[in-house]
Amino acid sequence: MTLLRDIAYVRSGDKGDTCTIGVIARSEDAYDAIVRSVTPEAVKALFGDFVLGPITVYRMDNIHALSVVMERALGGGASCTLRFDATGKAMGNALLRLPILPTDGF
Amino acid sequence: MKSVIRLGAGAGFWGDALDPALELLENGQLDYLGFDFLAELTMVLLQRLRRKNPDAGYVPDVVTYMRALMAPARERGTKLVSNGGGVNPRAAGRAIADEAKRQGLRGLRVGVVAGDDVLPRLDALGVPLTNMETGDDNFAAIRDRVVVANAYIDSSGIIEALRGGADVIVTGRVSDSALFVGSIMHELGWRHDEAHADRIAAAITVGHIIECAAACTGGMSSRYAEMPAMGRVGFPLVEFRHDATAVITKLPATGGRVDQWTVKEHLVYEIGDPRRYIMPDGIADFTTLRLADDGDDRVLVTNMTGAPRPDTLKLIIGYEDGWIGEGMLFFSWPDALGRAAKARETLLERFERLGLRAEEMHFDLVGVNMLHGPAAAPSIGEPSEVGLRVAVRTRTFEEAEKVRRACSHLFIMGPGGTTGGVPLKPRPSIALWPTLIPRDLVQQTVSIVEVT
Repeated sequence: MTLLRDIAYVRSGDKGDTCTIGVIARSEDAYDAIVRSVTPEAVKALFGDFVLGPITVYRMDNIHALSVVMERALGGGASCTLRFDATGKAMGNALLRLPILPTDGF
Repeated sequence: MKSVIRLGAGAGFWGDALDPALELLENGQLDYLGFDFLAELTMVLLQRLRRKNPDAGYVPDVVTYMRALMAPARERGTKLVSNGGGVNPRAAGRAIADEAKRQGLRGLRVGVVAGDDVLPRLDALGVPLTNMETGDDNFAAIRDRVVVANAYIDSSGIIEALRGGADVIVTGRVSDSALFVGSIMHELGWRHDEAHADRIAAAITVGHIIECAAACTGGMSSRYAEMPAMGRVGFPLVEFRHDATAVITKLPATGGRVDQWTVKEHLVYEIGDPRRYIMPDGIADFTTLRLADDGDDRVLVTNMTGAPRPDTLKLIIGYEDGWIGEGMLFFSWPDALGRAAKARETLLERFERLGLRAEEMHFDLVGVNMLHGPAAAPSIGEPSEVGLRVAVRTRTFEEAEKVRRACSHLFIMGPGGTTGGVPLKPRPSIALWPTLIPRDLVQQTVSIVEVT
């Protein structure tokens, strides 16, 4: 099974209690597969109760990248969270576990 | 007017390395070198320092940096712009001017940009301070616990200081990108109006790409394994052109790499909606720009667009939210996971015996799920070692102390082979309350001191 780790690069960080993950396709074909697979529902299912707020996925077609924005995702935010990864630096790598959904002919 | 403005990024955070900044200054033929020392968390730490000492509250590193860089910068005609003033830019300016005097840099002009600190006038703002993250509008409930309140200000003050002939500028909480936007706008004579919206957005975009220094030259990269000589990484250098296009590059013979991927990696970092990257200087749209390779370690950025600056500024208010007690214990094979589970049980019994009043409790298994939480893969096989981490939110320091003590008790009460390392001291928890306020409620102040 293809995972996001096989076709994307990531970088994540924080803004208050919001965690953002940039997902960069390694190729144009990969971008289509990433858009198809990195949905708010799939992201929510992966992170479970680590992410309590809404999740939005924005497209950047010009550079074949996505911006995944997860609210209430850092246990309150860097200055008050009980989590060790206070700024969500490792959250992007966690996202790389997402399976890539096949389509006909893919 | 120069045909190309050369700007370098000299620091991406408080704690960054000085040597790449010095190297860039010495060999980059720079017009400007910008330093970002601040983050949301940093402002809280600095506020804590200022409460202990009214002359503190700036990033101590800013003085170390300026001590090393002011003289060579002056020799080369490079201006140094940093936000190392933190919550006390005036004190930072005094410390820098004192240092310049000690070095005999007569005539050097140190500019201080302040006005971002609205803590003393918080009750006189006269606008509702609704939490923009949670929608909570009951600010009164936290008012008496507020310890820090700084607005993210634009580059106006930096521009004014440059116009006043400042060689070294230190500011409070300007936006990270403003450290570069100000220099570009000053150099090209741009104004904050609709006609310049796309061009200012270009400056914001470029500022965003380089503001975390090595983060766009191979640092933090998903391709880190293929990055050469990262211990000698080169910090980024921008050639910004009059037509609002730019080349991102670095010095030859430095470590790391600049290519489309390293630029993309930072372009997508800590942004929300990429069509509206909202900064106090303007709104950048990251979905129109184009990247092209322009030779080794050179990336050309074109077609950057955006919209005029917003009428509001982001104000981040920090307030005391109790204490955090924390501990970490490590267990060895055999059955490390089993020992960790039993130790957790023992800890909970200790907490009960000590009468710990916890408001929130969080356990991690270090080496298993500490970083990824529920997203972690199930553990397979028997690990050689596992850590147990506990963090507890309490109202008081004394309660948080109980967590540290209970963790120490397990050195002997715990499973065989338990090793605890250094017990962690309780730390205050500061919650943030981000809000938007009308821009005209914040007046920047600029002062320039000439070293005698």
